[in-house]
Amino acid sequence: MSKKKKVRFGEPVNWRKELSLLPGYIIVTVWIIFTAAFLFWILAASFSTSREIFSGNVFKFESGFHLENYVSAWQAQNVSVFFANSLLYAVVACVGVILISAPGAYVLSRFEFFGNKVIKSGLIVAMSIPAVMIIMPIFALTTQWNLKGRILLIMLYIFLNVPYTTTYLLNFFATLSRTYEEAAAIDGCPPAKTFWIIMLPLVQPALVTVTIFNFLGVWNEFFMALIFASSAEMTPVGVGLLQIVNSMKYTGNYGGLFAAVIIVFLPTFLLYIFLSEKIISGVTGGGIKG
Amino acid sequence: MKKNKMLIICFILPCLITLLIMYLYPVGRTVLMSFFSIESVTAGMSDWSFNGFGNYAKIFNSPAFKTSMWNMLRIWLVGGVFTLSLALLFAVILTSGIRFKKFFRAAIYLPNVISAVALATMWIQYVFNNDYGMLNKMLKMVGLEGVKWLGTDMKFWAMLFAFIFGAVGYYMLIFISGIERIPADLYEAATIDGANKVQQFLKITMPLLKGITKTNVTFWSVHTTTFFLWSKMFSPVDTEATTIVPVVYLYDTVFGGKGVTTRDAGAGAAVGVVLALIIIVIYFIMNKLLKDDDLEF
Amino acid sequence: MKKKIVSLLLASVMAVSLLAGCGKTETPAPAEEAAPAEEAPAEEAPEAEAPAAEEEAASTDGAADYSGVELTFWSMWSAGEPQAVVIEEAAKAFSEKTGATINIEWKGRDINTIIQTALESGEKIDIFEDDYSRIAKIYKDFCYDLTDMAAAAGYDAQSFKCFNDVATNWAGFLPCVTEQPQVGGIFYNKDIFDDCGITTPPATWEEFLAACQTMVDKGYQPLALDSAYADFTFGYHLDRYLGEAAISELAMNGGWSENENVAKAAQDIIDFIAAGYLAEGAPEEYPSSQNKIGLTGKVAMIVCANYVCAEVNNNSGTEINWSMFNYPSVEGGADTSNSYAGANSLAISSYSENPQAAFDFLLFLTSGEFDQKMADSASQIPADPRNTAPAIMSGTVEALQATSNPLSWNMGLNDNSDLKASFKDLIIQLYEGKFATGEDFAAAMDALY
Repeated sequence: MSKKKKVRFGEPVNWRKELSLLPGYIIVTVWIIFTAAFLFWILAASFSTSREIFSGNVFKFESGFHLENYVSAWQAQNVSVFFANSLLYAVVACVGVILISAPGAYVLSRFEFFGNKVIKSGLIVAMSIPAVMIIMPIFALTTQWNLKGRILLIMLYIFLNVPYTTTYLLNFFATLSRTYEEAAAIDGCPPAKTFWIIMLPLVQPALVTVTIFNFLGVWNEFFMALIFASSAEMTPVGVGLLQIVNSMKYTGNYGGLFAAVIIVFLPTFLLYIFLSEKIISGVTGGGIKG
Repeated sequence: MKKNKMLIICFILPCLITLLIMYLYPVGRTVLMSFFSIESVTAGMSDWSFNGFGNYAKIFNSPAFKTSMWNMLRIWLVGGVFTLSLALLFAVILTSGIRFKKFFRAAIYLPNVISAVALATMWIQYVFNNDYGMLNKMLKMVGLEGVKWLGTDMKFWAMLFAFIFGAVGYYMLIFISGIERIPADLYEAATIDGANKVQQFLKITMPLLKGITKTNVTFWSVHTTTFFLWSKMFSPVDTEATTIVPVVYLYDTVFGGKGVTTRDAGAGAAVGVVLALIIIVIYFIMNKLLKDDDLEF
Repeated sequence: MKKKIVSLLLASVMAVSLLAGCGKTETPAPAEEAAPAEEAPAEEAPEAEAPAAEEEAASTDGAADYSGVELTFWSMWSAGEPQAVVIEEAAKAFSEKTGATINIEWKGRDINTIIQTALESGEKIDIFEDDYSRIAKIYKDFCYDLTDMAAAAGYDAQSFKCFNDVATNWAGFLPCVTEQPQVGGIFYNKDIFDDCGITTPPATWEEFLAACQTMVDKGYQPLALDSAYADFTFGYHLDRYLGEAAISELAMNGGWSENENVAKAAQDIIDFIAAGYLAEGAPEEYPSSQNKIGLTGKVAMIVCANYVCAEVNNNSGTEINWSMFNYPSVEGGADTSNSYAGANSLAISSYSENPQAAFDFLLFLTSGEFDQKMADSASQIPADPRNTAPAIMSGTVEALQATSNPLSWNMGLNDNSDLKASFKDLIIQLYEGKFATGEDFAAAMDALY
């Protein structure tokens, strides 16, 4: 596929081919225009006053651009704190998850041993367990152990993402050819080293993909944070935004709310664009085809 | 082989421990809790009193819970069909050799990156608004009467529509990663044999996507049972029957909603157990219907 | 190899914490139970004498010396909100005056999900803030009995009696100090009433309908309604016919059709809508309809609690000339005058080591200068009736003082927590005009059981 792709970009436009793809273009474009309309509305709203938002006049900017919405969102509405928290949780949790999941997925997919099947199905079952099934005991447990604050949320986010990440990586490790390990073994490389030096880099595209999922998941996570983030200082962006929405009753600053939305959304968006490049080159050019 | 044993144990242990403390213990305790009458979540076991199936009887006799289950079923079925078909459609379009693929993919996935709180606010205040909303403006442009999207008749569907819109990109990405793992030579060979795009889709893509589809359906089921935020956003002051879902019911029961001063952790646990059972059943049905494809690429 | 060691370490740490957890689950449970129960009375005894002496000192020269005292305050606000700003200022002023340090933790509106467990586990909390009904009903076992301290400080004179009575009634003692009172009723744009020549607010349903007609004739839209408040609005009407106790009874056990007043109340609403007294588009999704009061200037009234005024002003960027009157009475009704009243209140934990210092701070915050500041900056009703309500809250202090038996939120409909969401749904449908007669509505309510 990679070869094909490179060739195609060098080629002049093949109109017959493009024509056959036209329905696809149309469907996707319509969907995206819809998305764009939303985004521009949110963006425009973030520069407007509450009055303009509620009378449906956000695109007119009659009273000019209200950049102060951003200042008030960042400072008065605490977005800077939520932002820093989410960043911390997401980064630490993503690293932690890979450290636990990748080795687990590797041995589960490459070795036969006692309990292998059980753990595999355990992971899948765990992944399917709704959060509400576990929050109550965990709530009781953490209260008993007096575990709280940021460390608690980080641990929860790591643990919560382990089953999904491991299961996801399982498939990728399973697709790797055995010849890599055999070659490494012949060269006298110990199995653990083989994993970290040879096998793990081979699934890099999968690692990147799953890390993006995890990162975004943790970044926008809501339910756990609602229950376990016990004070404003440790609130991540999802619950933080809800707090801002709730305080609209008293502050009425909807422009500031949407400014907060943009602030929260921009870094993940940029990150996504940046990283999606990596997935593409990785998935199409990586060692999956062997 | 001895070396391997060490390796296996070291590598699998963190995973195993996660499973034990984060899942096995809590699940066990929740199941246990669902058979006791417990007021506060944190009450020690000495405060529990055995209640048999009382909690289950309570929730299944509760009209609010029944409504919430009905809503969840509709979200799962209707929403699932729409979300997964759209996701598959987009995935196929994007992998069909279309230009600007990266851009399209990023754009379709975009709503997933935005906090749902923000999205919901935007849908409610802009798209569905009665007077200046985007949908009603479009309807009026083509000469149709505006619809009261957030009235009692339409509110649920409005919420579901907004939810689907945000969810499609996620499932599309998973489908894409599945499609891209299908060797290109298969398609090349098919093209040489004269198979058109639709035939290729039905004969190659679909069968090879079984595993991925299974994953997606499982994810969707989990996604549906944990449906919470959208419901909360679409009923701003207090829970409403049109949008209530089991998790909202559970949250209100365990922690108390506006003006509610009674709490019942036991009933909450029973709700959790019911949700978990539903997912398990779905998973096993999926497993029966779609046997794993053990094709090695 | 290095990584192997890391994962081993990780694994062993986890194993240890797991084991520690297993061991722990057995023991602390009973201990935890005993601790607060034993501590509370033990502490109350000596404290009960100390406060009297301390209070004397406090009231004579106005400032006790609490240097070295540290108070932890869990607040239901989020940093940056107007209420939070005032609390912070008050805490600073109190520190300067008495030497006590007050550590405030902003917990946000979802404090109710965490406060109970925090109290149960004996976390260091001296003061906490929540809805007064939750304090007096759910947390009462962890609340310090304020009765004596309040009596010594003459708290009655600087608070609304109804809240103290109701809270005392629920908890068996005075568990909390009112911070932000709320009152329900009909809030209206006085300019529209003036323009229509309505000088005295309507007191009966007939007068109310007549006023609505006058407004419609003048081109105004009488009543805004967002579906989020539909049950609150109808609850008021139902209460005028039945009284809250009867509504609660019906809500729990059904039988709506058997009570002819239910159909009557619903019929009133159906006629009200048919006459065109609801604002255009109502019932709408919160806050669209209430915003129209400010945005169009043509919508006159809304049934809600007092915070609606500041909300509308903020959302629409206008300064409406707000005023309020009590929900009108109906002929032959059971309840003519009560209004909804609620409050965010402050309580002291039963195990607090410095209850007197905490109590002094609560009074410092909820009376005099800082109470006035709170009322002004957040556009709320002052907790101290001797202070003046901000202009947009005019009429609220009087309404609260006239209330002896405040109604609860949704007037008893919420007592059936299972069905309240369904009630709300039917009531929204009632306002959408889906029912032809009041009997149909009553029948639909009964069909829920």
